[in-house]
Amino acid sequence: MLEDELTVSIRINEKVAIIDLIGDVTTFAEEKINNAYQEVTKAGAQHILLNFRQNDYINSAGIAILIGIVTEVNRHNQKLAFSGLSQHFQKIFRMVGLAQYADIYQDDQEALEAINNAAAA
Amino acid sequence: MSNEETAGSKPSEKVIELRLPSRLGYERVAMDAASSLARRMGFEGDRIAALKTAVSEAVTNAIEHGNQHNETMKVVVLLTVRDDELIVSVTDQGSKSIDEAYVSRVPNISEAMQKDDKGGWGIWLIRELMDEVEFTKAPGGGNQVRMVIHLER
Repeated sequence: MLEDELTVSIRINEKVAIIDLIGDVTTFAEEKINNAYQEVTKAGAQHILLNFRQNDYINSAGIAILIGIVTEVNRHNQKLAFSGLSQHFQKIFRMVGLAQYADIYQDDQEALEAINNAAAA
Repeated sequence: MSNEETAGSKPSEKVIELRLPSRLGYERVAMDAASSLARRMGFEGDRIAALKTAVSEAVTNAIEHGNQHNETMKVVVLLTVRDDELIVSVTDQGSKSIDEAYVSRVPNISEAMQKDDKGGWGIWLIRELMDEVEFTKAPGGGNQVRMVIHLER
């Protein structure tokens, strides 16, 4: 009841592999998020967008999972961005330092436009 | 859940007590209760979001580190509503004290990226997000974190 399921799905938009996260990002999310990252990486993704759903719950265990993704993205010379975060979690991501390693956009449309335009330039 | 004006409390003070099993997921009950009270007290949305994160981290720490996921042990959350502030105290029943150095540690993302364990952000987040934070030993022996958020009118 209280262990909210996270639904993770992947879609591709031009140059960007989008990982949609519907639900809460806590310790229970680790395997699903890591599997999705590995899947898009195996498929050769260079630009990855983690698209959150506003108002979902992200805790420090979730932040640790995302630091793991940032670490792998750096290792593979990929680019990472975040979208769909509430103002609160945008602030937390900046406080933690995740924003040093990934651009933050309000929503997936804004992110896709910016990333695809930059990739085409 | 109990809601009472406790003996020795100020006349305008309301105390709500939650006793949660030490199972991850139950921190949501405390988050929702704190959020609901804070909204009724008139806190702004960004302050409520900060409170929810701090309560979540404190209860999660109590479940994982204090009570070591032992579901028979409780995490006690006291929510004290005053005219100008909300006080949340989270107590576990564990015998293992929180390391003082850990409590005052400032984590760093570039260091975390070099380590296998990338966690350890919870206590720092609580300290950053709340107006007052105090870590003590509870009279019963468990760890206690007392967090205060002030209502700015």
